[in-house]
Amino acid sequence: MKDEPSERLDPRAKVVWRISGALNMLPLLAGAGFASFVLLRWVEASVFIGILPVLGVLVLAVFSVVVAPGLRWRRWRYEIRPDEVDLQRGVWWVSRTLVPLARIQHVDTRQGPLQRRYGLSTVVFHTAAGPNQIPELSAPIAAEARDRIADLTREQDEL
Amino acid sequence: MNSEVDPLLRLHPAAMVINALKSIRRLISASALPGIFVLFSQGLSPLTIALVLLGAGVLVVLAALWGFLSWRATTYGVVGGSFRLRQGVFQKSERTIPLEHVQSVDTVQGIVQRAFGVYEVRVETAGGGTSEPDASLPALGRGATEALRRGIEGSRRVPVGAEEEASGPEILRRLSTRDLLVAGATSGQIGIALSLLAVGSQVFDEFFSEAFFRNLVESLAPNALILALILTPAVALFAWLLAIAGTVLAHFGFTLSRDGEFLYIKRGLLERREATIPLGRIQAVRVSEGLLRQPFGLASLRVESAGYGEDAGVSAVMFPLLPRGEVQALLRRAAPEFAVAPPLNPLPRRALRRYVFRSTVPALFLAAAGTLIPLLVFDVAFGLPALLLVPLFALYGWLRFRDAGWALEGDRLVVRSRSLARVTAVAPRRRLQSRSIFQSPFQRRLRLASFGTEVASGVGGSALEVEDIGFDDARRLVEALSARVPFRAGREDAGGEKRPA
Repeated sequence: MKDEPSERLDPRAKVVWRISGALNMLPLLAGAGFASFVLLRWVEASVFIGILPVLGVLVLAVFSVVVAPGLRWRRWRYEIRPDEVDLQRGVWWVSRTLVPLARIQHVDTRQGPLQRRYGLSTVVFHTAAGPNQIPELSAPIAAEARDRIADLTREQDEL
Repeated sequence: MNSEVDPLLRLHPAAMVINALKSIRRLISASALPGIFVLFSQGLSPLTIALVLLGAGVLVVLAALWGFLSWRATTYGVVGGSFRLRQGVFQKSERTIPLEHVQSVDTVQGIVQRAFGVYEVRVETAGGGTSEPDASLPALGRGATEALRRGIEGSRRVPVGAEEEASGPEILRRLSTRDLLVAGATSGQIGIALSLLAVGSQVFDEFFSEAFFRNLVESLAPNALILALILTPAVALFAWLLAIAGTVLAHFGFTLSRDGEFLYIKRGLLERREATIPLGRIQAVRVSEGLLRQPFGLASLRVESAGYGEDAGVSAVMFPLLPRGEVQALLRRAAPEFAVAPPLNPLPRRALRRYVFRSTVPALFLAAAGTLIPLLVFDVAFGLPALLLVPLFALYGWLRFRDAGWALEGDRLVVRSRSLARVTAVAPRRRLQSRSIFQSPFQRRLRLASFGTEVASGVGGSALEVEDIGFDDARRLVEALSARVPFRAGREDAGGEKRPA
């Protein structure tokens, strides 16, 4: 087993993750703002306690917008070999998954609105046990990866 | 439909009654709560009673009419290599399922069906899972059921060389009444029964006034502690009996038989169920030894089967209770591919402290809360016994460590782990959909990793995992299970793996 798969995701992935991370934080921030408001206004807690919820969410937001995307990108690697797809991911919990091509039932590419804006797309391949994905590849590379997986899967079937 | 010769058949006439009852039940369950509410709030005047009776009469007539119409509209049959089902009174539908997509033909016999001596037949499909809904025929006579089964399965049945006396299914094992009761008593479903009781008591509350309860409580026991001491075991006992009853209902007369490449499971007290599991679709077998069963050397068997229909949870029970020593013998006859019990590779010693740590942390929190809260609020230390939880959970962690293990036997992966019940899972390499290694920073420091693999089950996947095996072992395992290594080499690899970690 190799130490690491060879390919990386598109560097623009970090930008997309930052934006989607920020968007995900918005409702949480609103909730925290409300909690702080309640604490300060009605519970009449001291200012230090009152701003704790907002502060907590801000720390979380900084992590998920500034720190995590970089770490995540650095870890994410994949490789499509003739017999298997090799994936590595995770910030703290690193996982390495190998999916034999012979088990892959179908492959598709997917593109969300944010991804379309940055010309990225996600390759999703399905086995009988559920989907696996390689996210945030530049659209042409994703299309190539999808076709390659499909071709290799066909070859495996013929063997 | 009548102009040409129609090869499709009608259901048994009992279907009319069954359909009618089904629609009555649906209507009643929709109108029961508002109905009862109206009855009780308006009082029982003769007028309301007459109205209710009239409504009920209309309902019955309509349901009977609907039952007849839907019986007349439903036809089924095996035509040109596929199963067809035509249905629908107003909106006609015709479903065609190619025979090779049929996973199994199962029968269920509810109380009503038993009264008429008919079967509900379910044609379960495999593959797509969600996209291809199964077909259900509410009532077929015994002969028609057998004919349909032959028609569907006969076409797929591969003649096996050794199968000379293909006279019918061979019974492999039958659950005795004593074992059934033991299975219920040790099922460990007391928790589920307790939550049912909780729901039940809420309903109960609605019907009896609070004053009634207060009187009951006051007259029974002036001392709340004594009441609790009486009530808790009583409730627990009741829940336990409920759990036994549930098991008896579901597993009464459990019979496992095999006919060539098919396993048949018959079970049920009021509702007789008969399920088919094609051997070729079994992805993994799990031998589960519950906490209450392990001391008595008892185990239960479950199968993970691909694309298997709706109540996968129940239908996946291959045998509910048998002595652990007889598991291999049964598997050899039922599903020989899964009959392996190699010595397992234990986890490295350094994994022990992670196991103990993980199970002790929640105990520490519980114990802290249990002792501190009474101390602060009531200024008494009666929470101190909660501290006993800590060594108990540590012991549990040690048990989990001791029981975890893995082995490669030929091209079969065996993993064992414990979460309350000790579960040994067997899956052949060609059934593994993916293999993974997980590693947290703490595991990295100790050069440990968790190994996991997935097999297809139902419409999704089901995991086989071992936590905290040596990192190098995990890598070797992933490598040895790769599709690239031919099966023979896999066996040699397995031999190489046998050295202690």
